[in-house]
Amino acid sequence: MAGSEIKLSFISKQKRGADLKGKVIVITSGKGGVGKTTTTASLGAAIASLGKTVAVVDMDIGLRNLDVVMGLENRIVYNVVDLAHGRCQVKQAAIRDRRIEGLFLIPASQSDNKNALNTDDMARLTKKLREEFDYILIDCPAGIEQGFENSVTGADEAIVVCTPEVSAVRDADRIIGLLYARSITPKLIVNRIVPYMVVNGDMLSHKDVEDVLSVELIGLVEMDDRVIAATNTGSYIIDDKTSKAGQAYTRIAKRILGDLTVPIKEPIYDQKGLWGKITSKLGIKK
Amino acid sequence: MKNGFFGKIFGTGKESTRDIAKKRLQFALIYDKLEVSDEILEALQKDIVDVISKYFEIDKSSLKLDIERQDDLSALVLNTPILSAKRKFG
Repeated sequence: MAGSEIKLSFISKQKRGADLKGKVIVITSGKGGVGKTTTTASLGAAIASLGKTVAVVDMDIGLRNLDVVMGLENRIVYNVVDLAHGRCQVKQAAIRDRRIEGLFLIPASQSDNKNALNTDDMARLTKKLREEFDYILIDCPAGIEQGFENSVTGADEAIVVCTPEVSAVRDADRIIGLLYARSITPKLIVNRIVPYMVVNGDMLSHKDVEDVLSVELIGLVEMDDRVIAATNTGSYIIDDKTSKAGQAYTRIAKRILGDLTVPIKEPIYDQKGLWGKITSKLGIKK
Repeated sequence: MKNGFFGKIFGTGKESTRDIAKKRLQFALIYDKLEVSDEILEALQKDIVDVISKYFEIDKSSLKLDIERQDDLSALVLNTPILSAKRKFG
Protein backbone atom coordinates (compact mmCIF):
# COMPACT_ATOMS: atom_id res chain seq x y z
CA MET A 1 0.00 0.00 0.00
CA ALA A 2 1.66 3.20 -1.16
CA GLY A 3 1.25 6.32 0.94
CA SER A 4 0.19 8.43 -2.01
CA GLU A 5 -2.64 6.09 -2.75
CA ILE A 6 -4.14 6.56 0.68
CA LYS A 7 -3.92 10.34 0.49
CA LEU A 8 -5.60 10.43 -2.89
CA SER A 9 -8.50 8.38 -1.72
CA PHE A 10 -9.43 10.71 1.09
CA ILE A 11 -9.61 13.91 -0.96
CA SER A 12 -13.36 13.60 -1.10
CA LYS A 13 -13.52 14.11 2.66
CA GLN A 14 -12.48 17.71 2.32
CA LYS A 15 -14.97 18.22 -0.47
CA ARG A 16 -17.80 17.02 1.72
CA GLY A 17 -17.17 19.45 4.54
CA ALA A 18 -17.28 18.68 8.23
CA ASP A 19 -21.01 19.28 8.67
CA LEU A 20 -22.07 16.58 6.22
CA LYS A 21 -22.57 13.25 7.90
CA GLY A 22 -22.71 9.89 6.24
CA LYS A 23 -25.64 7.51 6.39
CA VAL A 24 -25.36 4.07 7.97
CA ILE A 25 -27.37 1.28 6.34
CA VAL A 26 -27.37 -2.24 7.73
CA ILE A 27 -27.95 -5.16 5.36
CA THR A 28 -29.46 -8.08 7.21
CA SER A 29 -31.63 -11.18 6.77
CA GLY A 30 -31.72 -13.46 9.78
CA LYS A 31 -31.11 -16.56 7.71
CA GLY A 32 -27.69 -17.18 6.24
CA GLY A 33 -26.97 -17.83 2.60
CA VAL A 34 -29.61 -15.57 1.09
CA GLY A 35 -27.13 -13.16 -0.51
CA LYS A 36 -26.42 -10.52 2.14
CA THR A 37 -22.71 -10.32 1.41
CA THR A 38 -23.18 -10.23 -2.37
CA THR A 39 -25.85 -7.57 -1.91
CA THR A 40 -23.58 -5.49 0.33
CA ALA A 41 -20.67 -5.72 -2.15
CA SER A 42 -22.88 -4.98 -5.15
CA LEU A 43 -24.69 -2.05 -3.56
CA GLY A 44 -21.42 -0.63 -2.24
CA ALA A 45 -19.90 -0.83 -5.72
CA ALA A 46 -23.01 0.62 -7.33
CA ILE A 47 -23.33 3.56 -4.92
CA ALA A 48 -19.61 4.36 -5.30
CA SER A 49 -19.99 4.17 -9.10
CA LEU A 50 -22.70 6.81 -8.77
CA GLY A 51 -20.11 9.17 -7.29
CA LYS A 52 -20.46 8.73 -3.52
CA THR A 53 -17.83 7.62 -1.03
CA VAL A 54 -18.80 4.29 0.48
CA ALA A 55 -17.40 2.10 3.23
CA VAL A 56 -18.65 -1.46 3.34
CA VAL A 57 -18.08 -3.03 6.74
CA ASP A 58 -17.93 -6.79 7.29
CA MET A 59 -19.44 -7.49 10.71
CA ASP A 60 -19.28 -11.26 10.40
CA ILE A 61 -16.43 -11.48 12.86
CA GLY A 62 -14.66 -14.83 12.80
CA LEU A 63 -16.25 -15.76 9.46
CA ARG A 64 -15.21 -12.96 7.15
CA ASN A 65 -16.21 -13.17 3.50
CA LEU A 66 -16.95 -9.72 2.15
CA ASP A 67 -13.23 -9.39 1.34
CA VAL A 68 -13.14 -12.45 -0.97
CA VAL A 69 -16.44 -11.53 -2.60
CA MET A 70 -14.93 -8.13 -3.43
CA GLY A 71 -11.57 -9.58 -4.47
CA LEU A 72 -9.69 -7.64 -1.78
CA GLU A 73 -8.62 -10.55 0.42
CA ASN A 74 -4.90 -10.05 -0.27
CA ARG A 75 -4.81 -6.50 0.99
CA ILE A 76 -6.00 -6.86 4.57
CA VAL A 77 -3.74 -5.35 7.22
CA TYR A 78 -6.10 -4.05 9.89
CA ASN A 79 -9.70 -5.06 10.54
CA VAL A 80 -12.89 -3.74 12.08
CA VAL A 81 -11.98 -4.99 15.57
CA ASP A 82 -8.62 -3.17 15.39
CA LEU A 83 -10.42 -0.03 14.29
CA ALA A 84 -13.16 -0.25 16.92
CA HIS A 85 -10.59 -0.79 19.66
CA GLY A 86 -8.53 2.16 18.48
CA ARG A 87 -5.52 0.12 17.38
CA CYS A 88 -5.50 1.87 13.99
CA GLN A 89 -6.95 4.82 12.11
CA VAL A 90 -9.87 4.68 9.66
CA LYS A 91 -7.42 5.30 6.80
CA GLN A 92 -5.42 2.24 7.82
CA ALA A 93 -8.36 -0.14 8.20
CA ALA A 94 -10.26 0.99 5.11
CA ILE A 95 -8.97 -0.84 2.03
CA ARG A 96 -9.40 1.27 -1.07
CA ASP A 97 -10.83 -0.52 -4.07
CA ARG A 98 -8.59 0.41 -7.00
CA ARG A 99 -11.30 -0.37 -9.57
CA ILE A 100 -14.04 1.90 -8.27
CA GLU A 101 -13.29 5.42 -7.07
CA GLY A 102 -14.65 6.06 -3.60
CA LEU A 103 -15.22 2.45 -2.55
CA PHE A 104 -13.60 1.13 0.64
CA LEU A 105 -13.77 -2.13 2.56
CA ILE A 106 -13.36 -2.50 6.30
CA PRO A 107 -12.82 -6.25 6.70
CA ALA A 108 -13.89 -8.41 9.63
CA SER A 109 -11.38 -10.00 11.93
CA GLN A 110 -10.94 -13.70 11.28
CA SER A 111 -9.42 -14.66 14.63
CA ASP A 112 -11.78 -13.00 17.11
CA ASN A 113 -15.27 -14.18 17.95
CA LYS A 114 -18.56 -12.33 17.69
CA ASN A 115 -18.27 -11.01 21.23
CA ALA A 116 -15.04 -9.15 20.45
CA LEU A 117 -17.16 -6.02 19.96
CA ASN A 118 -20.07 -4.58 21.92
CA THR A 119 -22.70 -2.00 21.10
CA ASP A 120 -20.69 0.82 22.68
CA ASP A 121 -17.75 0.01 20.39
CA MET A 122 -20.15 0.07 17.44
CA ALA A 123 -21.72 3.38 18.40
CA ARG A 124 -18.25 4.93 18.49
CA LEU A 125 -17.20 3.24 15.25
CA THR A 126 -20.23 4.34 13.22
CA LYS A 127 -19.81 7.88 14.52
CA LYS A 128 -16.22 7.88 13.28
CA LEU A 129 -17.15 6.43 9.88
CA ARG A 130 -19.91 8.98 9.34
CA GLU A 131 -17.26 11.68 9.33
CA GLU A 132 -15.35 10.02 6.52
CA PHE A 133 -17.87 8.50 4.12
CA ASP A 134 -21.19 9.38 2.47
CA TYR A 135 -22.55 5.87 2.94
CA ILE A 136 -21.61 3.12 5.35
CA LEU A 137 -23.02 -0.30 4.47
CA ILE A 138 -22.91 -2.82 7.29
CA ASP A 139 -22.86 -6.49 6.27
CA CYS A 140 -24.66 -8.12 9.20
CA PRO A 141 -23.94 -11.75 10.13
CA ALA A 142 -26.73 -14.32 10.10
CA GLY A 143 -28.55 -14.89 13.35
CA ILE A 144 -30.01 -12.63 16.03
CA GLU A 145 -27.19 -12.69 18.56
CA GLN A 146 -24.43 -10.21 19.44
CA GLY A 147 -23.33 -9.81 15.82
CA PHE A 148 -26.81 -8.64 14.88
CA GLU A 149 -27.04 -6.32 17.89
CA ASN A 150 -23.70 -4.77 16.97
CA SER A 151 -24.61 -4.39 13.31
CA VAL A 152 -27.85 -2.53 13.95
CA THR A 153 -26.32 -0.20 16.53
CA GLY A 154 -25.89 3.17 14.95
CA ALA A 155 -27.79 2.21 11.78
CA ASP A 156 -30.10 4.82 10.29
CA GLU A 157 -31.72 2.46 7.84
CA ALA A 158 -31.97 -1.26 7.22
CA ILE A 159 -32.32 -3.42 4.15
CA VAL A 160 -33.63 -6.94 4.68
CA VAL A 161 -32.58 -9.49 2.05
CA CYS A 162 -34.91 -12.42 1.58
CA THR A 163 -35.18 -15.25 -0.93
CA PRO A 164 -38.57 -16.68 -1.95
CA GLU A 165 -38.32 -19.66 0.41
CA VAL A 166 -40.35 -20.35 3.53
CA SER A 167 -37.33 -20.50 5.83
CA ALA A 168 -35.87 -17.22 4.58
CA VAL A 169 -39.23 -15.44 4.79
CA ARG A 170 -39.89 -16.62 8.32
CA ASP A 171 -36.47 -15.46 9.49
CA ALA A 172 -36.91 -12.16 7.67
CA ASP A 173 -40.16 -11.64 9.58
CA ARG A 174 -38.34 -12.14 12.87
CA ILE A 175 -35.59 -9.71 11.86
CA ILE A 176 -38.13 -7.13 10.73
CA GLY A 177 -39.78 -7.35 14.16
CA LEU A 178 -36.43 -6.81 15.88
CA LEU A 179 -35.68 -3.83 13.64
CA TYR A 180 -39.07 -2.23 14.38
CA ALA A 181 -38.34 -2.69 18.09
CA ARG A 182 -35.28 -0.49 17.50
CA SER A 183 -37.37 2.10 15.63
CA ILE A 184 -35.86 1.19 12.27
CA THR A 185 -38.29 0.72 9.38
CA PRO A 186 -36.60 -1.75 7.03
CA LYS A 187 -36.91 -2.05 3.28
CA LEU A 188 -37.00 -5.35 1.48
CA ILE A 189 -34.96 -6.91 -1.33
CA VAL A 190 -36.33 -10.16 -2.69
CA ASN A 191 -33.30 -11.99 -4.05
CA ARG A 192 -32.88 -14.98 -6.38
CA ILE A 193 -36.31 -14.89 -7.96
CA VAL A 194 -36.72 -17.56 -10.66
CA PRO A 195 -39.49 -16.15 -12.89
CA TYR A 196 -40.42 -19.38 -14.67
CA MET A 197 -40.85 -21.18 -11.36
CA VAL A 198 -43.09 -18.39 -10.10
CA VAL A 199 -45.18 -18.63 -13.29
CA ASN A 200 -45.45 -22.40 -12.88
CA GLY A 201 -46.58 -22.04 -9.30
CA ASP A 202 -43.45 -23.63 -7.90
CA MET A 203 -41.99 -20.60 -6.16
CA LEU A 204 -43.30 -17.76 -4.00
CA SER A 205 -43.58 -14.56 -6.02
CA HIS A 206 -42.20 -11.27 -4.74
CA LYS A 207 -45.82 -10.23 -4.17
CA ASP A 208 -46.36 -13.25 -1.94
CA VAL A 209 -43.24 -12.38 0.06
CA GLU A 210 -44.31 -8.74 0.27
CA ASP A 211 -47.83 -9.77 1.41
CA VAL A 212 -46.54 -12.04 4.13
CA LEU A 213 -43.94 -9.59 5.45
CA SER A 214 -45.90 -6.37 4.81
CA VAL A 215 -42.83 -4.22 4.42
CA GLU A 216 -41.84 -1.73 1.74
CA LEU A 217 -39.95 -3.11 -1.24
CA ILE A 218 -36.74 -1.46 -2.48
CA GLY A 219 -35.72 -3.97 -5.13
CA LEU A 220 -36.12 -7.33 -6.83
CA VAL A 221 -33.14 -9.38 -7.95
CA GLU A 222 -33.52 -12.28 -10.32
CA MET A 223 -31.59 -15.52 -9.93
CA ASP A 224 -28.56 -14.91 -12.13
CA ASP A 225 -25.74 -17.39 -12.82
CA ARG A 226 -23.43 -14.51 -13.54
CA VAL A 227 -23.46 -13.52 -9.87
CA ILE A 228 -21.69 -16.77 -9.06
CA ALA A 229 -19.23 -16.21 -11.89
CA ALA A 230 -18.50 -12.68 -10.67
CA THR A 231 -17.96 -13.94 -7.12
CA ASN A 232 -15.58 -16.63 -8.42
CA THR A 233 -13.28 -13.93 -9.75
CA GLY A 234 -13.86 -11.31 -7.06
CA SER A 235 -15.40 -8.87 -9.52
CA TYR A 236 -18.60 -6.88 -9.28
CA ILE A 237 -21.84 -7.99 -10.88
CA ILE A 238 -22.77 -4.33 -11.45
CA ASP A 239 -19.85 -4.08 -13.90
CA ASP A 240 -21.48 -6.80 -16.01
CA LYS A 241 -23.77 -4.31 -17.68
CA THR A 242 -26.01 -6.88 -19.37
CA SER A 243 -26.58 -8.99 -16.28
CA LYS A 244 -30.07 -8.75 -14.84
CA ALA A 245 -28.87 -8.94 -11.25
CA GLY A 246 -26.27 -6.24 -11.90
CA GLN A 247 -28.88 -3.94 -13.40
CA ALA A 248 -31.19 -4.62 -10.47
CA TYR A 249 -28.50 -3.68 -7.94
CA THR A 250 -27.74 -0.45 -9.80
CA ARG A 251 -31.44 0.45 -9.70
CA ILE A 252 -31.54 -0.29 -5.96
CA ALA A 253 -28.45 1.91 -5.44
CA LYS A 254 -30.21 4.79 -7.21
CA ARG A 255 -33.26 4.34 -5.01
CA ILE A 256 -31.03 4.34 -1.91
CA LEU A 257 -29.58 7.65 -3.10
CA GLY A 258 -33.13 9.00 -3.11
CA ASP A 259 -34.15 8.68 -6.76
CA LEU A 260 -37.52 7.02 -6.32
CA THR A 261 -38.39 7.55 -9.99
CA VAL A 262 -36.23 4.50 -10.73
CA PRO A 263 -38.72 1.65 -11.14
CA ILE A 264 -38.59 -1.64 -9.27
CA LYS A 265 -38.57 -3.94 -12.28
CA GLU A 266 -40.38 -7.22 -11.86
CA PRO A 267 -38.42 -10.18 -13.19
CA ILE A 268 -40.34 -11.53 -16.17
CA TYR A 269 -40.32 -14.99 -17.64
CA ASP A 270 -39.32 -14.64 -21.30
CA GLN A 271 -41.85 -16.59 -23.28
CA LYS A 272 -39.77 -17.76 -26.22
CA GLY A 273 -41.34 -18.48 -29.59
CA LEU A 274 -44.84 -18.41 -30.98
CA TRP A 275 -46.31 -21.09 -28.76
CA GLY A 276 -44.99 -19.33 -25.69
CA LYS A 277 -46.58 -16.08 -26.79
CA ILE A 278 -49.91 -17.73 -27.54
CA THR A 279 -50.11 -19.58 -24.26
CA SER A 280 -49.01 -16.47 -22.43
CA LYS A 281 -51.80 -14.41 -24.10
CA LEU A 282 -54.33 -17.10 -23.23
CA GLY A 283 -53.10 -17.11 -19.68
CA ILE A 284 -51.98 -20.72 -19.97
CA LYS A 285 -48.43 -20.27 -18.88
CA LYS A 286 -46.49 -23.43 -19.47
CA MET B 1 -45.36 -28.30 -13.66
CA LYS B 2 -48.66 -30.14 -13.69
CA ASN B 3 -50.30 -27.20 -12.03
CA GLY B 4 -49.47 -24.93 -14.92
CA PHE B 5 -50.45 -26.14 -18.35
CA PHE B 6 -52.49 -29.25 -17.60
CA GLY B 7 -53.93 -27.71 -14.49
CA LYS B 8 -55.38 -24.84 -16.49
CA ILE B 9 -56.72 -27.07 -19.26
CA PHE B 10 -58.19 -29.88 -17.27
CA GLY B 11 -58.92 -27.87 -14.18
CA THR B 12 -57.40 -30.37 -11.79
CA GLY B 13 -57.75 -27.65 -9.16
CA LYS B 14 -54.71 -28.89 -7.32
CA GLU B 15 -53.10 -26.17 -5.26
CA SER B 16 -49.65 -25.09 -6.42
CA THR B 17 -46.72 -25.49 -4.04
CA ARG B 18 -46.39 -21.72 -4.23
CA ASP B 19 -49.87 -21.24 -2.74
CA ILE B 20 -49.23 -23.90 -0.12
CA ALA B 21 -45.96 -22.18 0.83
CA LYS B 22 -47.71 -18.85 1.24
CA LYS B 23 -50.48 -20.25 3.43
CA ARG B 24 -48.06 -22.21 5.59
CA LEU B 25 -45.95 -19.10 6.08
CA GLN B 26 -48.89 -16.97 7.06
CA PHE B 27 -49.93 -19.48 9.71
CA ALA B 28 -46.37 -20.04 10.92
CA LEU B 29 -45.85 -16.32 11.43
CA ILE B 30 -49.08 -15.98 13.40
CA TYR B 31 -48.05 -18.85 15.64
CA ASP B 32 -44.55 -17.45 16.06
CA LYS B 33 -46.01 -14.20 17.30
CA LEU B 34 -48.20 -15.96 19.85
CA GLU B 35 -45.19 -17.52 21.46
CA VAL B 36 -44.41 -15.91 24.78
CA SER B 37 -40.98 -16.14 26.32
CA ASP B 38 -40.51 -17.64 29.80
CA GLU B 39 -39.23 -14.32 30.99
CA ILE B 40 -42.44 -12.54 30.01
CA LEU B 41 -44.56 -15.34 31.44
CA GLU B 42 -42.76 -15.08 34.78
CA ALA B 43 -43.17 -11.32 34.90
CA LEU B 44 -46.85 -11.70 34.05
CA GLN B 45 -47.32 -14.31 36.77
CA LYS B 46 -45.74 -12.03 39.33
CA ASP B 47 -48.01 -9.14 38.38
CA ILE B 48 -51.10 -11.33 38.48
CA VAL B 49 -50.15 -12.68 41.91
CA ASP B 50 -49.71 -9.13 43.17
CA VAL B 51 -53.12 -8.06 41.91
CA ILE B 52 -54.96 -11.13 43.21
CA SER B 53 -53.19 -10.86 46.56
CA LYS B 54 -54.80 -7.47 47.02
CA TYR B 55 -58.20 -9.11 47.23
CA PHE B 56 -57.61 -12.74 48.22
CA GLU B 57 -55.33 -14.80 50.38
CA ILE B 58 -53.78 -17.21 47.93
CA ASP B 59 -51.18 -19.89 48.04
CA LYS B 60 -48.54 -18.20 45.91
CA SER B 61 -46.41 -21.29 45.51
CA SER B 62 -49.13 -23.42 43.96
CA LEU B 63 -50.21 -20.84 41.43
CA LYS B 64 -49.85 -21.99 37.87
CA LEU B 65 -49.93 -19.92 34.70
CA ASP B 66 -49.98 -21.55 31.30
CA ILE B 67 -50.76 -20.88 27.71
CA GLU B 68 -52.95 -23.56 26.23
CA ARG B 69 -52.99 -23.81 22.51
CA GLN B 70 -55.55 -25.36 20.28
CA ASP B 71 -55.86 -25.20 16.54
CA ASP B 72 -57.97 -22.11 16.43
CA LEU B 73 -57.31 -20.33 19.70
CA SER B 74 -54.84 -19.73 22.48
CA ALA B 75 -55.92 -19.32 26.08
CA LEU B 76 -54.15 -17.98 29.11
CA VAL B 77 -55.01 -20.31 31.98
CA LEU B 78 -54.44 -19.39 35.60
CA ASN B 79 -54.95 -21.89 38.40
CA THR B 80 -54.78 -20.91 42.02
CA PRO B 81 -56.43 -22.13 45.21
CA ILE B 82 -58.04 -19.23 47.06
CA LEU B 83 -57.54 -19.55 50.81
CA SER B 84 -59.83 -16.70 51.80
CA ALA B 85 -61.10 -13.33 50.70
CA LYS B 86 -59.60 -10.29 52.29
CA ARG B 87 -61.99 -8.24 54.40
CA LYS B 88 -60.27 -4.98 53.88
CA PHE B 89 -59.03 -4.02 50.50
CA GLY B 90 -55.51 -2.63 50.16
